[in-house]
Amino acid sequence: MAAKTQGPAVGYTTESTRTLLRVVILCFIAAAAISSRLFSVIRFESIIHEFDPWFNFRATKYLVANGFHKFWDWFDDRTWHPLGRVTGGTLYPGLMVTSGAIYHALRTLTIPVDIRNICVLLAPACSGLTAFATYLLTNEMTTSPSAGLLAAVFMGIAPGYISRSVAGSYDNEAIAIFLLVFTFYLWIKALKLGSMLWGALCALFYGYMVASWGGYAFITCLLPVHALVLIAMGRYSTRLYVSYTTWYALGTLASMQIPFVGFLPIKTSEHMPALGIFGFIQLIGFIQYVRSAISGRQFQTFLVTILVATFGLGLLGLVALTSLGYVAPWSGRFYSLWDTGYAKIHIPIIASVSEHQPTAWPSFFFDLNFLIWLFPAGVYLCFQDLKDEHVFVVVYALFGSYFAGVMVRLMLTLTPVVCVAAAMAASQILDTYLSWKSATPVEEQEAPKKVKGGLRGSDKPNVGIYSNLTKVMVSGSMLVYLLMFVSHCTWVTSNAYSSPSVVLASRMPDGSQHIIDDYREAYQWLRQNTKEDAKVMSWWDYGYQIGGMADRPTLVDNNTWNNTHIATVGKAMSSREEVSYPIMRQHEVDYVLVVFGALLGYSGDDINKFLWMVRIAEGIWPDEVKERDFFTPQGEYRVDEGATETMKNSLMYKMSYYNYASLFPAGQAADRVRGVRIPDQGPVLNTLEEAFTSENWIIRIYKVKDLDNIGRDHANAAAFERGQKKKKPTKKRGARVLRVD
Amino acid sequence: MKSLSVIAALLGLLAAGPCSAFSTVALPADFKPPPVFKNNMLVHVISVEKTYAKEQINVMLENVSDEPQSEYFLPFTAEQIARVGAVEAKDRKDDTIGPFGVDLVEYDALSDVQYYRITLPSPLKAGGQYPLAVSWVYLNSYRPLPASIGQDEQQFLVYDFSLFAPSAYTTLKQKTEVKFSTVTIPDYTTTFGPEGQEYPQKVGSKMLYGPFDEQPAGAFFPAQVRFEFTKPVIHVSTLERDIEVSHWGGNVAFEERYTLYHLGANLSTQFNRVKWAQSQFYNPASTALKELKFPLQIGSVDPYFTDAIGNVSTSRFRSSKREAMLELKPRYPVFGGWKYPFTIGWNTNAANVLRNTADGGHVLKIPFFEGPRQAEGVEYGEVNVRVLLPEGSENVKYYTSIPDSSIVEHSVDVHKTYLDTIGRTSVTIKAKNLGDEFRYRDLVITYETPLAGTLRKPVVVFASMLAVYAAAWALGKVQVGFSSK
Repeated sequence: MAAKTQGPAVGYTTESTRTLLRVVILCFIAAAAISSRLFSVIRFESIIHEFDPWFNFRATKYLVANGFHKFWDWFDDRTWHPLGRVTGGTLYPGLMVTSGAIYHALRTLTIPVDIRNICVLLAPACSGLTAFATYLLTNEMTTSPSAGLLAAVFMGIAPGYISRSVAGSYDNEAIAIFLLVFTFYLWIKALKLGSMLWGALCALFYGYMVASWGGYAFITCLLPVHALVLIAMGRYSTRLYVSYTTWYALGTLASMQIPFVGFLPIKTSEHMPALGIFGFIQLIGFIQYVRSAISGRQFQTFLVTILVATFGLGLLGLVALTSLGYVAPWSGRFYSLWDTGYAKIHIPIIASVSEHQPTAWPSFFFDLNFLIWLFPAGVYLCFQDLKDEHVFVVVYALFGSYFAGVMVRLMLTLTPVVCVAAAMAASQILDTYLSWKSATPVEEQEAPKKVKGGLRGSDKPNVGIYSNLTKVMVSGSMLVYLLMFVSHCTWVTSNAYSSPSVVLASRMPDGSQHIIDDYREAYQWLRQNTKEDAKVMSWWDYGYQIGGMADRPTLVDNNTWNNTHIATVGKAMSSREEVSYPIMRQHEVDYVLVVFGALLGYSGDDINKFLWMVRIAEGIWPDEVKERDFFTPQGEYRVDEGATETMKNSLMYKMSYYNYASLFPAGQAADRVRGVRIPDQGPVLNTLEEAFTSENWIIRIYKVKDLDNIGRDHANAAAFERGQKKKKPTKKRGARVLRVD
Repeated sequence: MKSLSVIAALLGLLAAGPCSAFSTVALPADFKPPPVFKNNMLVHVISVEKTYAKEQINVMLENVSDEPQSEYFLPFTAEQIARVGAVEAKDRKDDTIGPFGVDLVEYDALSDVQYYRITLPSPLKAGGQYPLAVSWVYLNSYRPLPASIGQDEQQFLVYDFSLFAPSAYTTLKQKTEVKFSTVTIPDYTTTFGPEGQEYPQKVGSKMLYGPFDEQPAGAFFPAQVRFEFTKPVIHVSTLERDIEVSHWGGNVAFEERYTLYHLGANLSTQFNRVKWAQSQFYNPASTALKELKFPLQIGSVDPYFTDAIGNVSTSRFRSSKREAMLELKPRYPVFGGWKYPFTIGWNTNAANVLRNTADGGHVLKIPFFEGPRQAEGVEYGEVNVRVLLPEGSENVKYYTSIPDSSIVEHSVDVHKTYLDTIGRTSVTIKAKNLGDEFRYRDLVITYETPLAGTLRKPVVVFASMLAVYAAAWALGKVQVGFSSK
């Protein structure tokens, strides 16, 4: 690669060679990005991962089977029984429509690709595009030719992004991050050129982004903040006016086409900054116009009047509309972004999701490795020439860091700016230290592959690096960091982010891989051997999977739109059978599914999630379900002999441990998750019967008994079945006395 | 090179034209078989050893009319006719006289008696005798009694039949023999013979009824046996089998989609995992289907086993010079009344099944269907075989040794896939009501691929790539936007 760098020769051939080289390098980066995401496909199979992707997959299949219009109007009566869900109007259709379009395009070319494979590979394919978009965005920030390529590499393999885009992770984020970065690129482009065309393109991709992911609000807030900062810095320009106005007007219209978004852009507080800045920028435009028309003194008065009037009226209007209910105040999920403790107190359902937890600091390093310390350096470099686009990076970095610290999943939105800033810093270092223009040019063999043509830096009058040793040491250590980054990314991807979580891998004693496939075993059993419309009650985590794999109606699922319904399920799970049974009958439940990891030591089971069920139920029925009752007087959460009566009588406990002890010799029944011994006398179930238990007991399915044929209650009927005698009330006899005659 | 000589022999057959498949004869609505034959001595063999019942009659025919006769009619009830399949008629003495023409008679759809017509190879002259052997299978032939049993209990099946063989003619003397796979036969019909002897005689796992004396046409004697069958009753309602031949890849790809049911006794209580796990140590006879073994053609590679929700990891493939055994375990043990649909597929080198002929044609010889090898047998309700030949194949001829009476439909169509421009020639053959003993019956297809057809795809792909590049180049030359100059 070094051979290509022959100074800034402006020859046609050199230029086209460079372009070709860039294209080749970008193709390699895309290939690396895609192939590093294929661990799970190679290790396991082409399978949809985790929970939400199963819904997206199911929706995509519905779209492909029934066409776009049916999809748009889809009312799904197989979830949230008996309420149903207006699915077509409550989802972001971008992802499904993208896969559907790819599917139909391939079909037109008569390539028979399974829709599942498209869904599985969509995220890796988009990661290649994201790398390219990052390249474009970085190139807007710096003149260094290597920064863009470095940024593309970083973006391609940074674990922070891989975590949400491995093959099979068919979630909205899969395409949303590409759209996010590309929208930002278009925004910068529009802002730089003051071009309506680029502004419109930006709006178009913003619309696509809105159609794809709820995180679009990040763009909706970030662009106005950027505009506001620019204005505050006194950098208002017609370029800004043109690009912002074009983006806002067209983008908002585009976003309102999505049924789920609808009128939110003018009704909710999240969208108000964009609207406010839109108005503000009109005002400034108007003032600028007036200033050119009238004299200075008059202008002063005019300015003050109009500013005070507008702000006052605007603020009053907003407050009035909010209090009248036209504009919705901030939503709970948004509050939890400002106050990390908010969700825990008010919305347990949000707090119960692990990805909504605040980020622990090691995970920054885990997800970004050495980028995290290059990142501030890159931001500092932005301050150096601080053009409009650099202000954007600074603003983005600020907000991105804050949000990433608040919620684990928002690490995803931080990653692009980290990659951009870190690439700027890295390329600055490399450009400086790999420069040939010193007293004696040195042969730098260790030059990292992606770095080339490090000569632009020397155009500036600059102090050079004269010692070859310094050059070798700095670029050498940089090379080491880069290599460590690559190996770290590979390791993280392979170990942390490539498990489908539907299948579990374990090792046989001889080292061969053994697959634990209990989830699918049970779901397949449900799908094949129960009635088509048998309602399955389970905790909401498994709702999407049951819908996708078992194809059975569920009571609650990962959509979590109805807290009360979820609390109802939580109450049924955490109450005594006599309380739960009527609830299940009322909801026409046929089967109850629980996840139980005690045999295998699978820690993500329902007993470990149980307290969340209790908490969510307690939120609605504080008198009937009490979290305290599930703890021993010493405050321990126990499942063994020392468990509280409430715990032992709860449906969840009974379903989990029913019949479990009989698998072991007497006195040896153990729970390998909680590491305790389970009493030999297991719980007794009267209203449910065990219908299916998977091979490793991870999934247990119970059938809800019908009402007794001869009108007994279930406890009596079950006791009779077990052959227990009905307890007769013992007659009180008088005291024995000797017979006296 | 035995297979080659077989192919040569078959080619001679094929020259006659495409296979004569399932046909029906339409006869007037008031049709009745003319009483032109007499069954002199008839032996009726009923085998209930497998999951489907197989019946065979060996009969010495006599033409009692004055004219030569060649059409022998075999009656079935309307209920049976939907379940009967693979009716095959042969000469009992001479194997070389191939299977005779067997046609379903269509006359009065509402009549309770339906007929198959067997055409003898040459008309039987008046008074002449002929040894005829006819065999067929019944699907869904048993019912479990008791209808539901415990997970670890024995299963008993009931088979209803007639002690007198179905016949449209007078039968002078006949015997009925029932074969079982077990000696545990707790209940069976008993009767007395003409001389007062008690029937049946039990010989090991066989039961003999008869001989009976003269019976008129259509005589019926209801009988029932109840026997132990603690094995899965496997019923494949549809088997879709796709075979894709690729000349460029030198590969033949197979994919089979099974819709499998267990028709045995249902569970009387819900499935109990503890009991199941504990019983696995002793491995007792069980009605649950735990494993399916597919002996694939030697040299088969890349097998896969999936179902509606993805790969099933519990399969094993043993491949050596002598065998290619695919052992599948369903995700869960399949008990009576349960269902387990799945898909398997594999590849094989084209050289194993494809030969070139001297005149530039190709001969493909594959089993009509393969399916699992289970001791208890497997019955197939519908078998749909589709063979995709290379794009542009023509002059397609095919032949199969599956009984004609089981073939429902066959056609040659065009199927478009994998960047096809004119589509591949596909041969579709649908058969119904087969037992697994008809596995490995041959399907032979001859076809020709002209050079133009072979070269079409690479040329088309190359040309379209070229067109894409040219279009990209042309688009790159277009000046968009307003030049400031």
